Amino acid sequence: MEEAPLGKIEVAPQAIATIAGHAVISCYGVVGMAATTLRDGLAELLQHENLSRGVRVHLVDDQIIIDLYVVIEYGVRISEVAHNIMSSVKYAVERALGLPVAQVNIHVQGLRISDENGG
Amino acid sequence: MKMEAETARPALGEHEGEVRVSDKRAPARRGLRICNGQGLKRMIMAGTAWLERNVPHINALNVFPVPDGDTGTNMFLTMQAALKAIADSPEHSVSAIAHKVAHGSLMGARGNSGVILSQFFRGIARSLDGKMSFTAPDLAAAMAEGSATAYKGVLKPVEGTILTVARDAALAAQEAATTTRDLVVMLERIVEAARASVARTPDLLPVLKSAGVVDAGGQGLYVVLEGMLHYLRGETIEEVSTTLAQTVDLQPLAGGYGYDTQFIIQGRDLNVEAIRAHIASLGDSVLVVGDSGLIKVHVHTPTPGAVLDYGIRMGNVSKVIIENLQEQYQEFMARQPVPTTTEEITDIATVAVVAGRGLTEVFRTLGVSAIVPGGQTMNPSTEEMLQVVNQLTKDQVIILPNNKNIILVARQVQELSHKQVRVVPSKTIPQGISALLAFKYDADLDSNVVAMEKALDLVQTAEVTRAVRSVEINGLAVEEGQIIGLLNGQLVTAGSEQEEIVLDLLARMEADQAEIITVYYGEAVTAPQARRLVALIQEHYPAQEVELLDGGQPHYCYIISAE
Repeated sequence: MEEAPLGKIEVAPQAIATIAGHAVISCYGVVGMAATTLRDGLAELLQHENLSRGVRVHLVDDQIIIDLYVVIEYGVRISEVAHNIMSSVKYAVERALGLPVAQVNIHVQGLRISDENGG
Repeated sequence: MKMEAETARPALGEHEGEVRVSDKRAPARRGLRICNGQGLKRMIMAGTAWLERNVPHINALNVFPVPDGDTGTNMFLTMQAALKAIADSPEHSVSAIAHKVAHGSLMGARGNSGVILSQFFRGIARSLDGKMSFTAPDLAAAMAEGSATAYKGVLKPVEGTILTVARDAALAAQEAATTTRDLVVMLERIVEAARASVARTPDLLPVLKSAGVVDAGGQGLYVVLEGMLHYLRGETIEEVSTTLAQTVDLQPLAGGYGYDTQFIIQGRDLNVEAIRAHIASLGDSVLVVGDSGLIKVHVHTPTPGAVLDYGIRMGNVSKVIIENLQEQYQEFMARQPVPTTTEEITDIATVAVVAGRGLTEVFRTLGVSAIVPGGQTMNPSTEEMLQVVNQLTKDQVIILPNNKNIILVARQVQELSHKQVRVVPSKTIPQGISALLAFKYDADLDSNVVAMEKALDLVQTAEVTRAVRSVEINGLAVEEGQIIGLLNGQLVTAGSEQEEIVLDLLARMEADQAEIITVYYGEAVTAPQARRLVALIQEHYPAQEVELLDGGQPHYCYIISAE
């Protein structure tokens, strides 16, 4: 993906997905990631070790495009959380790779209601 | 339910600066046991006002996770949205006010810290649901619910952030509730706990420690609570208005974004076309819609007063909203355009990207025309630089990016600006200084660029900082938190002792061949520390002249040049 004087540096999409996945879960408002390969259309909450399954990385004309499938806490401002995720992921990936990220798309797959009428 | 705090409020007067909660002076009033919705409203107002004053300070703390330096602004905008939701509410029920605060902050939440703040208020509102007023135990329960709600919103809560501060404050409230019924005493303990918690954040979050700051979001929450305490104690902070425009006058408005101005004109036979045309002459992003009886106006303008005056001449103006559009830390910092006398003698302007008070001063004394705040962890945007370039009175501009990450941005400005812009690709601050010294007032643009580019190679730059993550570069394994040394932008050495790294770098720079060694120490370093280092350098390099300057730069403990 990048030509260095001594040879080529190649970063697999899976590696980018891991970086992105970690950036996402540290974002406030995100309570999980959802698998993208489900047939029944139900989002499945992923465990920590396979977070990157909720991330899809595409390379289009050398442009990095990241799709994120997330579950968000009910009651937060979803648009703002999504915006925060975009900037965090873009920052984390760009800092690690030194390559620009063209798009970060957020797919909110579900909301988690954790508080019922507590308190 | 009478609101006791509404009575006697001895003025705090011009009590600027820090008001420490631990001050042992007697609070203005004691014995507040119950507080209703209007009381809560006043507390929110005071908290917002106090936060507003501290916005630049909080912004300056922002290093994590995205170093864009706007936590203070985001939290303030969130609080302001909460305040807007209750500003005209006459309700005495604390439940009603708390729910409006929660809703307002939810809708207006900005940034991570703003979203967290809105969740905190949501928990509080739920806890106070159905209550006309709150007492000490109610407040303790509400804070606990607020903190718990805030924690629920994240998969992996990071300690050492606003979340930790919220929880510590809530714990202090619960503890206080066992010994006192006095809300003032209780809030004093809450604020004290919040302050102590903020002070502990660097111990919990290494990235804060290495940056030498406390957590910005946590600090913001502490400031809000402290503002509320000021109110309960009967100390006034000039109350914040629900619009920003009256209080924020931080930057000169030559062009730029100005103020987002919105209002409604009611009248008869209003001419939408004519009004739109006139408004358009006063600003941009103009949106004028409506009919002959009612028109909604939206415009970005440097002069909201002129737009309003015009509106008032046309009819009845209502629903006025004026908001300042400049929200970035960089823009807060960029208040000073720097016209210097040198500009008068030459047709060429110079623009440098610099971070740190001391370094800014150095560039200014060298006669740079304008400074764009920025550096390693806060790269200015193309738009920001373009704006600065376009605002200069000169048509020929030389940009010194002073960082390899900013060179590209500078080159984009070169393409976008209608002015004749050249980029001298300085990768470090000393290179920028060296280039600026080579600038000749009587030479033309091209020969200056050539001379300045040549000057870049005359200086060697060493930079000392801490590794923010473990990494292996150039066969060098670096642990997170280790001291690392960069020579001309390349990582060459790492270790645990600053002195060791500095001496290693100087040896690699062949400093014994140089005439002058200049040390710029960063904001994380104290003057005595820096002086000790300089003494050490002088010991090893007795033949060289060693100069020490307070650079005040973030991120790098030391920037050292040898020439």
